[in-house]
Amino acid sequence: MDTETSLFESSEMLATFLSSTPVLQDSWRVCSLANTAATVVTDHVRGVAYVAFPGTVMPSGGANLVALDCAPDCLFPPLQHRHAQHQHEDPPMIHAAILDHFRSFYTSTTFHNQILAVIEKSKAVVMTGHSMGGAVASLSALWLLSYLQSITSSLPVLCITFGSPLLGNDSFSRAILRERWAGNFCHVVSNHDFIPRLFLAPLPSLSAHHPHFVLQFWQLLMNILQSDSETAKIFGFLLPYIQGWVANMEEECVKSPFSPFGNYLFFSEEGAVCVDDAAAAGKMLELMFTQASPGSSIEDHLKYGDYTEKASWQLLMRKSFTLGEPPESSYEAGLALAVQSCGLANQESISGPAKDCLKMAKRVNRLSPHLNAANLSIILSKNVPYRAQIEWYKASCDKSDDQMGYYDSFKLRGASKKGAKINMNRCLLAGFWDNVILMLESNQLPHDFLKREKWVNAAHFYKLLVEPLDIAEYYKTGKHLTHGHYLKNGREERYEIFDRWWKGREVGNEENNKRRTTYASLTQDSCFWARVEEARDWLDQIRSESDMRRSVMLWQDIDSFERYATRLVENKEVSMDVLAKNSSFTLLMEELQDFKSKTQQFPPQFPDFLNGEMVP
Amino acid sequence: MGETVGNLIGLNDEVIHPAATLAVEAHNSPSKQFLVKKIKIHHDLSSVVVLAFSGSMLPEDWFGQPPFGKTEIDTGKFPSLTSLNDGGDAVVNGSFLRRFNDVLDKLSHAKELKEAIEKKKQVVFAGYSSGGPIAILATLYFLENQTLSTRCLTFGSPLVGDRIFGHALRREGWSDYFTHFVMKYDIIPRIMLSPSSTEHKQILNYFKSKFDKKNINPAPPSGFYLTVMGNASSVATYEACHLMGCRNPSLDIIKSFIELSPYRPSGTYVFCTGNGNLVVVKNPNAVLQILIHSAELGESNTAEVEKRSLDEHSAYLSELKECLGMQAVVSLDGGPATATLNDLGLSPQAMLCLQAAEEFENRRSRNLEKIRKHMEKSEVELEMLRKYKENAQISGLGYYDSFKLQNEDDDFHANVRRLELAGIWDEIKEMLKEFELPDDFEKKQEIIDLGTEYRRLVEPLDIANFYRHSKDKETGAYVVGGGPRPKRYRFIQRWLEHHEKKPFGSRSESLFWADVEQLGIDIKKKKNLQEIKDRIRQLERNMIAWIDVDKSLDKDVLLEKTTFVKWWRDLPRECKSESERIEKLIGEKAAGV
Repeated sequence: MDTETSLFESSEMLATFLSSTPVLQDSWRVCSLANTAATVVTDHVRGVAYVAFPGTVMPSGGANLVALDCAPDCLFPPLQHRHAQHQHEDPPMIHAAILDHFRSFYTSTTFHNQILAVIEKSKAVVMTGHSMGGAVASLSALWLLSYLQSITSSLPVLCITFGSPLLGNDSFSRAILRERWAGNFCHVVSNHDFIPRLFLAPLPSLSAHHPHFVLQFWQLLMNILQSDSETAKIFGFLLPYIQGWVANMEEECVKSPFSPFGNYLFFSEEGAVCVDDAAAAGKMLELMFTQASPGSSIEDHLKYGDYTEKASWQLLMRKSFTLGEPPESSYEAGLALAVQSCGLANQESISGPAKDCLKMAKRVNRLSPHLNAANLSIILSKNVPYRAQIEWYKASCDKSDDQMGYYDSFKLRGASKKGAKINMNRCLLAGFWDNVILMLESNQLPHDFLKREKWVNAAHFYKLLVEPLDIAEYYKTGKHLTHGHYLKNGREERYEIFDRWWKGREVGNEENNKRRTTYASLTQDSCFWARVEEARDWLDQIRSESDMRRSVMLWQDIDSFERYATRLVENKEVSMDVLAKNSSFTLLMEELQDFKSKTQQFPPQFPDFLNGEMVP
Repeated sequence: MGETVGNLIGLNDEVIHPAATLAVEAHNSPSKQFLVKKIKIHHDLSSVVVLAFSGSMLPEDWFGQPPFGKTEIDTGKFPSLTSLNDGGDAVVNGSFLRRFNDVLDKLSHAKELKEAIEKKKQVVFAGYSSGGPIAILATLYFLENQTLSTRCLTFGSPLVGDRIFGHALRREGWSDYFTHFVMKYDIIPRIMLSPSSTEHKQILNYFKSKFDKKNINPAPPSGFYLTVMGNASSVATYEACHLMGCRNPSLDIIKSFIELSPYRPSGTYVFCTGNGNLVVVKNPNAVLQILIHSAELGESNTAEVEKRSLDEHSAYLSELKECLGMQAVVSLDGGPATATLNDLGLSPQAMLCLQAAEEFENRRSRNLEKIRKHMEKSEVELEMLRKYKENAQISGLGYYDSFKLQNEDDDFHANVRRLELAGIWDEIKEMLKEFELPDDFEKKQEIIDLGTEYRRLVEPLDIANFYRHSKDKETGAYVVGGGPRPKRYRFIQRWLEHHEKKPFGSRSESLFWADVEQLGIDIKKKKNLQEIKDRIRQLERNMIAWIDVDKSLDKDVLLEKTTFVKWWRDLPRECKSESERIEKLIGEKAAGV
């Protein structure tokens, strides 16, 4: 892999860009309205809708984490669905009280109408909120992203939070990355604001005084937003809590289960930086807080208006380097400037770790996404011969005298050189595509990668060609006996991802209603053979089944498979190999008809079977 | 060794100040669309004709439809101002284009211009302020028509075109003909980086009353600086993030939420530092960064800078008088020169942006080197395919049909070669799309040649593969609008067409087989008979021209066993219009083998 001779640190530049846009200030303006009104407020600016959630409403419930997949309602399906491959990780979890709080918005009828109305008349939506409102905005944005994905809409969604508490655990953060949604979140954290750091303290100490503490705080916060006269009183009240908490944080021995997700935009008196790596963001939260005082940690939570306003003109100031000459290397100079913008340059004990933290955020791969994508074309072309050999194999099986088709040939293959070669190709291709997915999930490929037909088509074609071989291998090695059937237990995550890519692509209008006149070159359902294997299993079971009720259920399953297969064959969505004389599908269908005609105690409620269409 | 501005921009120094004077004069003479003056050059007694355009400070002459008043350029008048890959046509400011169109008729009939064309004299189009864009478009117009040796000089001109505009200028090698003088704080060259707003109108009104001389000291507007420069800064930081290799997806997500100006600098910029020094910059990304960073707020307060940003727009003549005599000129290309950049007052962050801009150019050169290596590999593969083609011809079946049948191992290997080559050319396509290769890549003769060779040799294989798998049933015919034809071929064809100045779509010889296949299918479908007949006639004529006239189609399509010959011979007599000539060609081929 080529290395770039010159590297740049862009965390400060990105922060400057974000501050230069009107999005931050507009978001904050609507947030303040929502805080004052203590209700959801929507506004439109130049076609962009802003939906702000009030931060002044107090959630009830405990401070524990709940797993998303245990939740009874399916609010965020893409995050809740976990592929078998990730079963060993913790499930994505979020703060229980905040989830309940979001539900209280979500279940109200006005919420839905409000959001749907917003979607209809806007070219883009910003979800925003201050403090607790920010956490609710995050969940609303996640819900909206899930919803838009389900209707394959590409409406741009952005979530801007101001001083939001942390929301979920590490798995939650990774699940968002995997969906490529991290870039849709920007959490603004002002210098010493303590709320975003609240859950960084280890949980045991939290559970002792946390719920009580938050409750008090929120009630008082409502007042402070209304009147300045209360400030002194609140300070006095909160001081001991925060001091206790800071002490807790310094002697951190148990790691907090909470983890940041998305982008963090840190504002200091000196400037701003933007970090998108969860670990780096967590560390920055900690480092910037070391200089906080109890007073500043509360004040900063309430000063987002000042910070955003200041940032909008501060970027036009000519900033000089405060500590001597800037380093020679452009990367080191950029790092030093970024640390200066965090307001940490003067503290040697902190500026070192802060630099390391920013370095960590800049991940290993140094090529730009566009170059990666271009490079991938070459790697793809190197992998394409493997695919071509599989195609060749498929064609040769079609022509072969045993008339089995490539699925069965591969499944029943002996110790032939040819079979081994094809199996190796299958593995090599899997490695290539897994790497593409990995690069995509770690933002190493351009944001519009999935809008590039070439890649979505190549992945789809790969899936249609090779997944049948995976299925064959699965049943050949008897994995279904130990792990259960392929569809539920054996399917690689990459195929599910490719299903989503294919579903989400932009389809031309003429494409869908075209009827095939000849059989497809590849069976259009890549799981077809897995369904055949399952049906085969049902048929075997039925022969030995004595329980009438079980038997009826199995017949129902077989019936629906038969209808599915017939439809596919009639629409010519299968390729020729499926219909080969000795393919396991043909054999199964023959056996099925044979069995049906022999079976006298045929359930009368399924008359369809008798005149069920015979497949060629 | 000191260099003068003239050396760096390829123009006699004696021309610059008189041209600036004329430009300012013309700007303030709205009754005439342009002024003409002959400037004598003392040392060699030659002369240069300078044409300077009048200006207008009416808001509608600056911004049409908000937010940016942009429009696609008229490629009839400016055929080169387009992207040769997916980028579309160049975008320019619609109001400026309209004003250019208004002046064009009178301009082409100007007798001084006709005389200059006849005597092959150098012509300089000049413009001050809103006269600048007209000068730029006029220069381009004459460059497109190749009738004149032209140069363009602007002073405090607003930006005119987008990134594609600048890319096309550099691709055509015209970028050096344009020189733009910009004062350190002048607001006008930056104004187009911000969407139209009430602040813009205030600025324009201020200058209007100032230039109209009805009011010598109009009250300057205030409060515009933060808005205009804040928006300009969005553009600069957005580009800087990309230059610095920022991979954060938010960068592009947030673009849907804001209005980012499409306009970008192009040509050579000469920044006047205000203390007698001039800085010459050609790297367009560096120019953009300097436009924003040199005008940053320093110790002086906003109101002061704001006032300077207005005052400096009227200070070009005095400033140039001072610095043109001196030789304190620094070229930034080839690395930032720190000392002079201090005169521009650039911050450390700005210096990093300049380094990133320079590094981007270096990266493009490195990418080109890498591509050259892939090109060598590409040539090897093409050579192997040529051999495959020869063998196929000997077998009598021809290249296309052997490949389509895929009966032999050789066919399989050819398929693998096809796919590997696709990877190489797709990489190039992706890089071009992201401007990761030098701007003149698509004009390089050896690249066009290799591409054309690749297209003629390999596209038939793609077509064979397409119809072998009946993919037309899934996606429609191989060639339809944005259909399944791989984009790489479309681009490569476009390079050749652009190079030969032929209309888009005229060099489609590599699509011969797709036409044959699709006609075969459409005849079976019994489509409109007249249309089919027309298409057959067109195919026959194209074929004769390709085979006989420019040899861009190989004669092996005429082998007796090919799909084409079999299909064509089966056609009813009344469908053929060039029966004899084609039979003759087939006969010749058969005799030749």
